[in-house]
Order: sequence, then C-alpha cells, then structure tokens
Amino acid sequence: MRTALGISLMAMTVSISAQVKLPDFTREQLPNGATLILLPRHDVPLVSVRAVFRGGAESEPAGMNGITAVTVEMMRRGAGQRSAAQIDLDLDFLGAALSSGANRQAAFFALEFLSKTAPEAMAIFGDILTQPIFPEDEARKVLAQTADRVRSSKDNPGAAVGQYFNGFFYPPGHPYRHSGSPDEISVARINREEIQKHYRRMAAGRNLIFVAAGDFDPGQFAPLARRIAGALPAGEAGQQPAPQEPRLERPRLLLVDKPDATQTYFRIGMPGIHRRHPDRIALLVANTLFGGRFTSLLNDALRVNAGLTYGANSILDQDRLSGAIAINSYTPTATTVKAIDLALDVLRRFAEKGVSQEQLDSARAYIKGNFPTDRLETSDQLCSILAELEIFGLGRSEIDGFFQQLDALTVETVNAAIRRRFTTENLQFCLVGNASAIEKDVAKFAGAMKVISIKTEGFAAPEF
Amino acid sequence: MLRFAGLLLVAALAVDAQMVQVTEHTLSNGMKILIHEDHDVPNVALYLFFKVGSRNERPGATGISHFFEHMMFNGAKKYGPKQFDIQMEKAGGRNNAYTSRDVTVYTDWFPRSALELMFDMEADRIRDLSFDPKIVESERGVVSSERRTSVDNSPFGTLYEQLNATAYIAHPYQWPVVGWASDIEAWTMDDLKAHYRMGYAPNNCVVVVSGDITPADVLPLAKKYFEPIPRQEPPPPVRTVEPPQLGERRVEVRRPANLPLLMLSYHIGAARDPDFPVYEVIETLLTGGRSSRLHQRLVEKEQLVLNVGGGVRPSLDPGQFLFTFQVRTGRQPGEVEKSLYEELERLGREPVPAEELQKAKNQILADFYRQLKTISGKANLLGSYEVFYGSWNQINQAPARIEKVTADDVQRVAARIFSPRNRTAGTLVPEQRAEVKQ
Repeated sequence: MRTALGISLMAMTVSISAQVKLPDFTREQLPNGATLILLPRHDVPLVSVRAVFRGGAESEPAGMNGITAVTVEMMRRGAGQRSAAQIDLDLDFLGAALSSGANRQAAFFALEFLSKTAPEAMAIFGDILTQPIFPEDEARKVLAQTADRVRSSKDNPGAAVGQYFNGFFYPPGHPYRHSGSPDEISVARINREEIQKHYRRMAAGRNLIFVAAGDFDPGQFAPLARRIAGALPAGEAGQQPAPQEPRLERPRLLLVDKPDATQTYFRIGMPGIHRRHPDRIALLVANTLFGGRFTSLLNDALRVNAGLTYGANSILDQDRLSGAIAINSYTPTATTVKAIDLALDVLRRFAEKGVSQEQLDSARAYIKGNFPTDRLETSDQLCSILAELEIFGLGRSEIDGFFQQLDALTVETVNAAIRRRFTTENLQFCLVGNASAIEKDVAKFAGAMKVISIKTEGFAAPEF
Repeated sequence: MLRFAGLLLVAALAVDAQMVQVTEHTLSNGMKILIHEDHDVPNVALYLFFKVGSRNERPGATGISHFFEHMMFNGAKKYGPKQFDIQMEKAGGRNNAYTSRDVTVYTDWFPRSALELMFDMEADRIRDLSFDPKIVESERGVVSSERRTSVDNSPFGTLYEQLNATAYIAHPYQWPVVGWASDIEAWTMDDLKAHYRMGYAPNNCVVVVSGDITPADVLPLAKKYFEPIPRQEPPPPVRTVEPPQLGERRVEVRRPANLPLLMLSYHIGAARDPDFPVYEVIETLLTGGRSSRLHQRLVEKEQLVLNVGGGVRPSLDPGQFLFTFQVRTGRQPGEVEKSLYEELERLGREPVPAEELQKAKNQILADFYRQLKTISGKANLLGSYEVFYGSWNQINQAPARIEKVTADDVQRVAARIFSPRNRTAGTLVPEQRAEVKQ
C-alpha cells in the first residue's frame, strides 16, 4: 500500500482563482469489504475519524422510521467491557469529542481526539462500532427520551416545519417521507430487538466507509484503523431502493394548526434532483442566486426590501434519491398571504427570466470563495467530504474538477437547467401557524388543502 | 491508564498552545489591529469588535445595539444600500454579525483577493453610514421578526428573557439583547444617530485579521483606510452596579408548550475576576459532556430532564452562572431543583476527586484547542481575549490558568456562589397540559 507521507502542511496549494484540490490520501478495500481512507496532515495535533455506514433512512423497515438514529445512539451506550457511563467518562477524560447521527442515506460516527491519545481513543471507537451490547435499560431510556424530543420539537415551529414538509411532500412508502428521526408512532414500535436487528443489517463491512484525517503516522495508525474497520463481518450490502420521483399532479396545501403561533412558518416545494444529477452544478449556481445567500432574490425581496421576515431562503436537496427544491421562510400571521405572494412572484420571474451573465459570475465567485473554509479547512471537514464521495459513488474529480465545472457553465446551460426544474405549477405548500387566522386566506394557493392539528401524532400528512 | 493519558494530554496542550502568534499594531486614532497568519486555506477572516452592546443602552431604547448591527449593512457614503453584501458576495465573501450584552462584532470571511475591498467597505460604514428613514422602517420589521422567532415562538427564549429580567434589578444586563418589543417599535432616528456616534469610534474597536495574509499585506491597508477615521469619545462608563441579591427570586411563565422548562441563574464575577478559571472548571464538572455530574444524575440516572445546558460566559460586568433544563414529560421542575441543589451543595462541601478535576481540565483544554482549528475560530478567540481579558496574548496563558485551579478553589467558589440567596429560579409551566388530558 502506498502511504501518503510528506504532503504539504497546506490543505490547499493553489490560490482561489485557480483550482482547489483534495490533499493526497490513500484508499484501500479491506477483506470484509470495508473501505479505509487515510489522509495524514500535520497542522494541529488532532485526529478526526469518521465511520459511515451506508443505509440511513433509506434502509429503515416500514413503520420504523428513525430506527437508524436510535441504533446509532444505542451503540455508544454500552460496548465491549464498557458501560454507557464508562464510555462517557473515558471519552471526556481524553478530551475527545464524539458525535453521531443518521441522514437519508447513511449513519455516521465522528470522533476527534488529540493525536497523543490515539490508542486509547481508537480502542473506545472500536468497541462502539464493533461490540455494542444494547443494554435493555438504556434502550428504554433512549426511547423515552426520544419521545420527549419529538414533543419538544413541536414546541418550536421553525424546527417542526421541515419534518411536516417531508411527511407531506413525499408519498407514503417513500424513504424521505420521514426526516431520519422517529415520531410518536414509530418510537412506540421500536424496541431492543428491532435495534439489534437493525445494527446487524447496518454494521457490515460492505456498508462501512472508515476515514481518518489529521496528525498521524500512517505506518502506526493504519493497523489500528484496519483492526476496527476489518473486525465487522462482511455481511450483505444494503438494498438501495430505486429512485422514484414524487408524483405531484396538482397543487396542495397542508396547514398545521398551532393556535398560539404568532407567525407562520412556510415551505413551498417542487421536485428537485439527486446528488449525481448532471444538472447539479448548474442548479447549485441557480439556487445560490434564487435563495442560497444573503443577496439572493428571495431574501432580497422578503427581508431586505419588504421587511416581512428575518430570513428567506431556498433549499436544494442533494441526496441519493431525487429530493425537493423548497422555498423556506416565516412571517407574522397577519402578513402570511403577502409574504407567500411575494415569494411566488420571485419564483415566477426566476423561472421565466433565469439569470444574467453578471449574476452567474457573482454566484460562481461566491461558491468558489466560500468552498475552502466550508469544506476543506479542517480534518473533520475532509473526513466528511471523503466519506460523502464514497456514499454517492463520486470520485475525487468531484472536488478537484469542481472549479473547472463551475467555470465551464454558461448563462444558457444554467437557464436551461432552471427551465427544467423551477416551476410555479403543482407547488406543494406546507404551513405551520395559527389556522383560525389564516385558513380562509391561504386556501387560494392550492385547490387541495388539508388542516391538521400539531397535536396529531407524527409528522406525516393524511393522503389528499 | 486513563489517568496517565490525561496527564500526557495536559502537557501536550501547555506547549502547543503557545502556537498562536500575533502581530499587534495600534493606529494613531486608537484602533487596534491584530494580525494572525495561517496559510492553510487561501481565505481570510476579518473580525471587528466594537465595545458596545446592550449594557450601553437605556430603558426605552433597549435593543438598539442589535438593531444597529443590522443597520450597518444598509448603506454608507461610497457603498450605498445593499452594496456591502452585493460587492462582498461577488468577490467570493460572506458575512455575519452578532451583538451581545457587551460587544457588537462584524464577521467577514473572504478569499484573500478581496482583502482591500473589505477594508474599503468597512472603513466606509464605520465613518459614513447613511440613515435612510425608509430603510430604518423596513429593518424594524426584520428585527421584529427575529424577536418573534427567537423569543415569542420559542419557550426557551421566552423564559430566558424573563429569568434575566428577574435576576438583575438594576444593571442593564436585565434587558434582552434583541430589545423589548415596545422599544423595537419606538426608537427614533435620533436614538440611532446617537448610538452610532457613541459606539462606532475607531478607538472603541479591535480589528482581527486571521488567515492567508501577512502583516505586510494588512498594515498598509489599515493605515490607508482605517487610520483617517477620526477618534471620538468612547461610550460613557456603565455606572450602575447590580446591588447584592438579598434572597431567592422566582419567576414563572405560563404558556402553551408540551414540556416544562427550568432555568437557574446565580450571580458571579466578570471575565477579569481572578476566579473566572474556577468558574470554568465548575461549569465543566457540572455540565461539560455526558460524564458531567448533572448530566449523569439528571439525564441518565434520575431521568428528570432531557438535557442540561448553561454555564458561564466572560462578560465585562459581573455575569451569571446559568443552568437550563428541558424537563421530561410527567416530571416537575421542583424535582429537578431538589436534585440540582444537592449537587451544588455537594460541590461546596466535598473536595472534588483529583481524577475528576483532571478530566474537567482536559475537556476545557481540548475544547479550547478545537476553537483554534479554523481561521474564523482564531479570529473570534483573539478578539474576545483582547476585549474581555485585556490582551489577546492571554490565549497563550489560558492552559496554565486552568491548570492552576485546585480542588480547594472549586470548593471555595462553589460554596460562595451557589447559595439560595444568590439564585433566581425560572419555570415555564405548560398551559395546555390540562387541555390535552381532557
């Protein structure tokens, strides 16, 4: 195996006006199918490791939404010879930081520790990944805490609107109908046995991407990493559901009633793209201009010119399956219709007129200027980007050729992509607010409308 | 084994933390410039710390520092309305700003090619901000929306505001940084102009530049753009001293919510209080990480709360030791209080075991180190140390300051601050609970 010693101390060796390049790293396939990626860099005496299991929300059995997130939490609550409390104590003693979570296509663990504590930190990490015990009392506790977290999230409409949007935009059976976290219904179904079953499916060598970046000597560190990543059974690679486009045949509006809300939180969606879509760079530029930065058209109209909100933006999903493009904002109850009208007006003009050369140049410079600090500055960012390339089956050219691809865009290609995706037809409106105050007025936005109470269990909308 | 590892860790940090090197220069108008080189990425973080915040406000115009933070993006003499953001984003940069009780901080991130543009635009708005009445009105709506989101539609924000208004009866820390709703609606053009004159003097500002630059790049630009800005009178001293608290205070908030909240505030000293490192160690022992005393007892063992938050933050005037808890379904804030007070009392009664003290120190030093990973983290830390501790160079003493804290210090300080008469308790009682059961 080639090791990448002697690389520059600098993550980036060229100026922003030229290109960005990932630092050198090594990649190997272990006998159990796991992928191991090592990127030594010696700017600060810290090491970041990231273990990513393919699957995430996509791999969850029906009715078990959020089980990946619960499983991941349970893995750190007792492993090997260590109890949950012992793991917490050992990690804190080392000053190590462990975070974990699940998204639509993967579960992840990220650990950061001081390079001098590598043997101790990696021993704990290995236990968590390969020898979790799932104690019954911890399972009961985690599930009860999770149920309360759902209740708490419904007290904060800004957080809840995203979950309601997913439960409304995606049809029943679609893995993205749930946001990766459990709801009141699934949390009652999940139990220790299901968690163990889910762990066995997920924690297979074929599903694992193990990345380390930071201050280590590959000669010493690689055996530690191989021992952990190679210890899992090869297992079965998870079945990945075939891409399916949400069917949006008519405009619909879901209004979630929170009678005490003093403002309306809204999200307006249309079909978007997946992470490997050929239009992704053009749409990244388009979305930057539409709602992806402070001077974007949406924020300029709703916040800067009209003072209707603290912020308006748009979200371009880039997951394994096709997602949404969604307008996202909030406004006082009394100006709900005005703000939505204004957002739709911005959308209509954008879909019709597209962008100018000047706008394209500005967005390109903005994306390039922010990219190094957003994605490539720290070891944990590098771990995250390397794992992401693996998850989506993209090569390092995705990064190394990124600026070239941006440079190659023309106004015509961007506008063609906008015409293909940005539309005012069949929009899907999800609102959380005081229904009695706005119900009559917002009905004009969609022929089909449904009102549900925020007290209704779960986040999924009834079919309509 | 673990203890050994911990000692190694501390030794490593004490040496490495000397790595933060700064070139310091004070312009003839009193503006201080701190330059830190870091060539990992071809980018720059430019942070401007103005020593003005909600502590410099008065009743009737609360929140004006924060409002002003917004106004600074709304046009000046050379770069008109919207131009700061338009020019910056076009040059590959991005910005934000934050206001606290003590400071207003402008944060710019950009590729090094935009360095001169940023100095030009910052100088323009510090010297020649414009005040368009139409823009003021529009921005009022934006700030009202920010308040509705962070306070009115957030149980946490609502209780936090009420807690502070109860914990302080005289000092300006009693009002929210975002301002009372009535004041946001009411402040005038004259209030704004007076605030600008008071806070935005070069001699009231610390500029930090961190990233892919050298002093030779930065100093000529600072002299060209910032030095001609005339010096002004700095904000008048904050006269009011919070009188000692004479007994426990309580505040209750009733509003619709699914879960109750509990918050506690204890008065402590300011950032330059010699005991501040002790507060930080106590904070970590009680709330730092999942192994902390309060997390283990309240979240894991007794399962009374969903999370433990709070702690201490450096402040210019005497501040607070804060605890926040999201109380679990079916549990009462009173049960949490009982267990919490036992833990606080124990910390003042029994010496903390050596291993546990070492663990807390390791956590603090590792967290400190994490803030030095990025150019923006370093810019923020350097500016904060300069403002709150009197010199950026205190960063290099931070590990030693923490290392010096003893078990005796912890016991002495805990016994002093966590007395019932020094505390303010706030509870949020969900109003819908009875309704739900019906």
